[in-house]
Amino acid sequence: MFTNQKQLLELSINGESYELAAACQETLLEVLRNRLGLTGTKEGCGTGECGSCTVLLEGEPVLACLLLAVDCENKRIETIEGQSLEGIMTPVQEAFLEKGAVQCGFCTPGMVMASTALLKRNPDPGREDIMESLEGHLCRCTGYNKIMESVQHAAKSYPEKK
Amino acid sequence: MYLPRFMIERPESPEEAATLLKVRKNSHLVAGGTELFPRMKYGLCSPEIIISLKGSRVSAPQITPEGMLVLDAKMSLTAVNASPEIVEKAPLLAMAAGRVATREIRNMGTLGGNLCQETRCLYFNQKHTFQFREPCFKRGGEACYFIPKGNRCWAVFMSDLAPALFCLDASVNIVGSGGVRQIEIHELYTHDPLKPISLKPDEIITKIIIPKNEGPSGSGFAKFTMRGGMEFAGVNVGVFVETENDLRTCKEAKVAVGAVSGGPQRASAVEAFLKNKGLTDDVIHAASREIPENLKIVPHHGYSKGYLTECLKSQAKTALTDATNAIIGAT
Amino acid sequence: MGDLDYVGKRILRKDGPEKVTGKAIYSVDIQLRGKLVGRILRSPHAHARILNIDTRRALQVPGVKAIITAKDTLGIKHGFVETPRYPADQYPLAMDKVRFVGEEVAAVAATDRYAADEALELIEVEYEVLPAVFDPEEAMLSGAPEIHPTHPKVKEGLLNIGGKTATAWGDVEAGFREADYIREDRFESHLRTHGYLEPQATVASFGSDGKLNVWTSSQGPFIKRAKLAKTLGLPQSSVRVRKAYVGGAFGGKIDLFSHEFCAALLSMKTSRPVEIIATREEIFTAYRHGQPLIVTIKTGVKKDGTIVAQQLKTINNSGAYRGSGVVVIFLAWGFTMVPYRVPNLKYDGYSVYTNNPIRTPQRGHGAPQLRFAVESQLDMIAEELGLDPMEIRLKNARNSGEMLPNGDNVHNCGLKDCLLDISKHTDFKNKYGSHKGESGRFQKGIGVGVSSYFGGSLIYPNSSSVLVKMNDDGSVTLLTGAMDIGQGAETILSQIVAEELKIPMEEIRVVAADTETTPVDIGSWISGNAYVCGNAARVAAGDVREKLKALAAEELEANAEDMVVQDKRVYVKGSPDQTLSYARLVALSIQKHRGDPIIGNGHWRTMRDEPTHPSLASTKGRWTENYAFDAQTAEVEVDTETGKVKLLKAVTAHDCGFPINPLLVEGQIDGQISMALGHAFMEEIMMEEGRTLNPSWLDYRMPSIRNMAESEHLDVITEQYRIGKPYRTKEVGEGYVSAILAAIANAIYDAVGVRLFSTPFTPEKILKGLGKIK
Repeated sequence: MFTNQKQLLELSINGESYELAAACQETLLEVLRNRLGLTGTKEGCGTGECGSCTVLLEGEPVLACLLLAVDCENKRIETIEGQSLEGIMTPVQEAFLEKGAVQCGFCTPGMVMASTALLKRNPDPGREDIMESLEGHLCRCTGYNKIMESVQHAAKSYPEKK
Repeated sequence: MYLPRFMIERPESPEEAATLLKVRKNSHLVAGGTELFPRMKYGLCSPEIIISLKGSRVSAPQITPEGMLVLDAKMSLTAVNASPEIVEKAPLLAMAAGRVATREIRNMGTLGGNLCQETRCLYFNQKHTFQFREPCFKRGGEACYFIPKGNRCWAVFMSDLAPALFCLDASVNIVGSGGVRQIEIHELYTHDPLKPISLKPDEIITKIIIPKNEGPSGSGFAKFTMRGGMEFAGVNVGVFVETENDLRTCKEAKVAVGAVSGGPQRASAVEAFLKNKGLTDDVIHAASREIPENLKIVPHHGYSKGYLTECLKSQAKTALTDATNAIIGAT
Repeated sequence: MGDLDYVGKRILRKDGPEKVTGKAIYSVDIQLRGKLVGRILRSPHAHARILNIDTRRALQVPGVKAIITAKDTLGIKHGFVETPRYPADQYPLAMDKVRFVGEEVAAVAATDRYAADEALELIEVEYEVLPAVFDPEEAMLSGAPEIHPTHPKVKEGLLNIGGKTATAWGDVEAGFREADYIREDRFESHLRTHGYLEPQATVASFGSDGKLNVWTSSQGPFIKRAKLAKTLGLPQSSVRVRKAYVGGAFGGKIDLFSHEFCAALLSMKTSRPVEIIATREEIFTAYRHGQPLIVTIKTGVKKDGTIVAQQLKTINNSGAYRGSGVVVIFLAWGFTMVPYRVPNLKYDGYSVYTNNPIRTPQRGHGAPQLRFAVESQLDMIAEELGLDPMEIRLKNARNSGEMLPNGDNVHNCGLKDCLLDISKHTDFKNKYGSHKGESGRFQKGIGVGVSSYFGGSLIYPNSSSVLVKMNDDGSVTLLTGAMDIGQGAETILSQIVAEELKIPMEEIRVVAADTETTPVDIGSWISGNAYVCGNAARVAAGDVREKLKALAAEELEANAEDMVVQDKRVYVKGSPDQTLSYARLVALSIQKHRGDPIIGNGHWRTMRDEPTHPSLASTKGRWTENYAFDAQTAEVEVDTETGKVKLLKAVTAHDCGFPINPLLVEGQIDGQISMALGHAFMEEIMMEEGRTLNPSWLDYRMPSIRNMAESEHLDVITEQYRIGKPYRTKEVGEGYVSAILAAIANAIYDAVGVRLFSTPFTPEKILKGLGKIK
């Protein structure tokens, strides 16, 4: 049996650099929440089945609960906290608010990150594209109707080059 | 849920990976992590050393001079679904990849990983802290919870990509500490729910090779789920049909079925039925009724055998129809 | 009545910005220095005597700071219901017996989760396994294992009865003799669960000042405080349950949970904060799920469809303790007698113990199960009599001002309007039955259902109180014990205060859900927030307004009745330059009224003339003055090859009173449609001998965005709720999961002629109904 070996890591999160010592088995989600105080990314299960822990890795949506922190060095990580760093909300965040797509809010960070990645990849998504991007995100409050509306609305108001 | 403690080694080549798998006791290969890490969090395995392929360079799809498509097993499922080469040369594989899980999981999970997944069962895929503590066959024990009177394991193999590759007559390149070998895709599967993959402990899949196909052909992939996404199949069906130049007469049909037994199965009865027949709606309908013949269909995850049998016929019809329409160019 | 500036408007949520930027702090996010990790040891047996627990080896694990079992507690019981008839029956940690797989036996606090889980494995428990029973109908029979002694007041020779509700009026036998047509059917609703995204989570911190601070994901802090204080033997004033956002609850986070008690006790023992977060797998296996209900219903009608007699029996599977089982069998009766006139009725409901995890309310608490039965049967009766589904419902639907058998009055009842409007809107008469004889793989159908719900009836703490505090600058702080569980409580309360004081929403700050600093609140279940707390807020703000007006009148030498408020100012009506700002008035009040900074006080409860809640057992006693009604239609598409059913469109015609915030109302409707379609098609907790087979999001299939149905809604008679009062509201949070479930069942029948008597409506059941599989 071996001890809790740690590795010195530098993580780039929302454009800022964080240095810490992490054990191999610590997930990115655990590091974000427990070590760095970035509690905006949520754990709804820890096994990749609900989408609450979605962050962007090099712009692509991934599940932080299944990523090892030590595998995330030298990669651009974006979390919900980085979406409105200067206090100005993004079109996706504004749309979620305006359209009433937020109720308990627990799924919201994951939904926002996945929707943001979608609109970067495809600024004019159809319903099928939106469903494909969000089918891994469980929401028990909204029935998804207003979430769909929000993404469609954000797409319309999204600046062309962001 | 959290991961047990482990250390990581990062091999710089498949050969090094194979050597590490051989010499490191209680080690396990990981690529995307979307299959292994949940299992570890559920306490189903606890390797002390993870041989990680994360961060390894992934080669782009290549087309050999003979027209074969060679794919790096470390390709993400998103890349498989979107790759222009795969969409053009092996659309069935691209289709199947797009049906796996969710976008996030597809971004992380790999082609090789999907092919080598463990079999699944409700009684197996959960923590056993206070429920089902006595290990079942799959956990090294002496009984089965699902079918207690039985003397074997009933876990099922649920990969979406494997049936697609069966239809495409794919081969798999394997690197082990003993050297390199190539096998046909069906040789990768044992149909033993306890150990569904035939690889030796120190072997890793490096490439998937899909032969060229000449002449008119069409693909269809159908997957039955209760809610659409984020779900393993109740049953899945891959279809690859080659026709004569009239675009209607079936030259050869390859039909493979997954999720209803310990490994993917070719639906030989249907294939025989379709050979040389004109692919009309009636023929397709009749063919789909044939599909359960000679196939093993096992109840799983709340679905009964009777239901799966009927559902399979419907999925087969959908996949056959899609494949036929693809040949004609209709949408 | 004057124009409304805030109430009735689509105002954006106050807590929206925090949630959408990831800043909102939930119980799972609370970080306290020195926090220990707590974990619970659970019983592997469904029924067993605990002979001995040995924690010595576990205590040796490095990092373990404390381990508790029942002997470390005061042995004080708690329960969802605690009345003389139904006394508390649960120990926070199992005392001498375990009665379900997963029951809490011990708890560990350690510096990290590895140590905690290692310690759990080393706790040695000696059990004597006992025979167990899992089916309620088996549990009632003589010879079944006894889980608890049968309730002493139920003398029918039945075992394992946790409680019974029995009531009757008129003469049911005579009614049946008069009937032209009678049918009797049995319906079964299955086990499903809440599926809240935020896990059950508690952080407890016991300070050296003898005070316990608790953050816990809940539906109301006051009931948690009361039960924690009781079981821990602390005065309520020593227990502070504090605000954190809640990631969904739906009925699953109401009463005391073992892990909350354990976190608190472990903190008391270690003098360090202790956090216990349930894993998703624990939530699916050992926590509370919704109530499965068996309903046998016999109904007699006249040729024209008028109901003359109804006899119902319900059997609830309450799990190993009473839970809310004795409430659901009471409510099931309620959900029968409100929407339709039933002149002769006999009702018997049994809540039965089984060796399963405890069941609890889930949104609707019995209404979905009951309305599924009543509405399905009503359609079958209609078909037999040659009436159409709308006709038969209109015939029996109550009118405004009708008295209910329990002495309540429905007051405004827009049920008939709901039916007429929805019929017109969906072109029901033409659509229903229009697909008969069609072939083709996909078959469409439409169905209707009716339901009623109620708001704010009496349950501890029975009332809500609100304080509205003026600030120096004329802005306002609203203090409320209300818990926002996602439904928008803080927003609508702010809207009400904004309306009463004519002050912008941004100038209202909400301090909520803290047992120490905010006044008592009824809690966010029984759908009471809008009606009970809303009225309290209205009264409190009105109190402030009157104080401001009186002071302004004094200053301006006018009559208080001639003063009006607008834009944070008080004016003399008709003289806009005779005005004082709120800020000025606060200063004046402090100056001239011995320092009175102007604080408004409001409280409310339903049934203000009734001393207590009705009898759960006899149903005697008034219930509420606040009944809401709705009719819903479902348009479905059945895939006759796979048996899969899709809900294409749901229409909800509702009489919910005046909607405080239509945007939030829509969100509530959409969410309930989604929950209902999950209940109908794809959600099922599969159990076998007390063990859960599918304890994960993957295998307990809740709807995803791909299953989203089109959802439309129609308000009815809302203008009625502005007569005599500026606005009067009822409820929207729980009423719309029920009729839609029945409508789906009826729509499936319309589409493919398959009548289903049990939920969920699985593909297998559909194909069996179509004769495609045996």
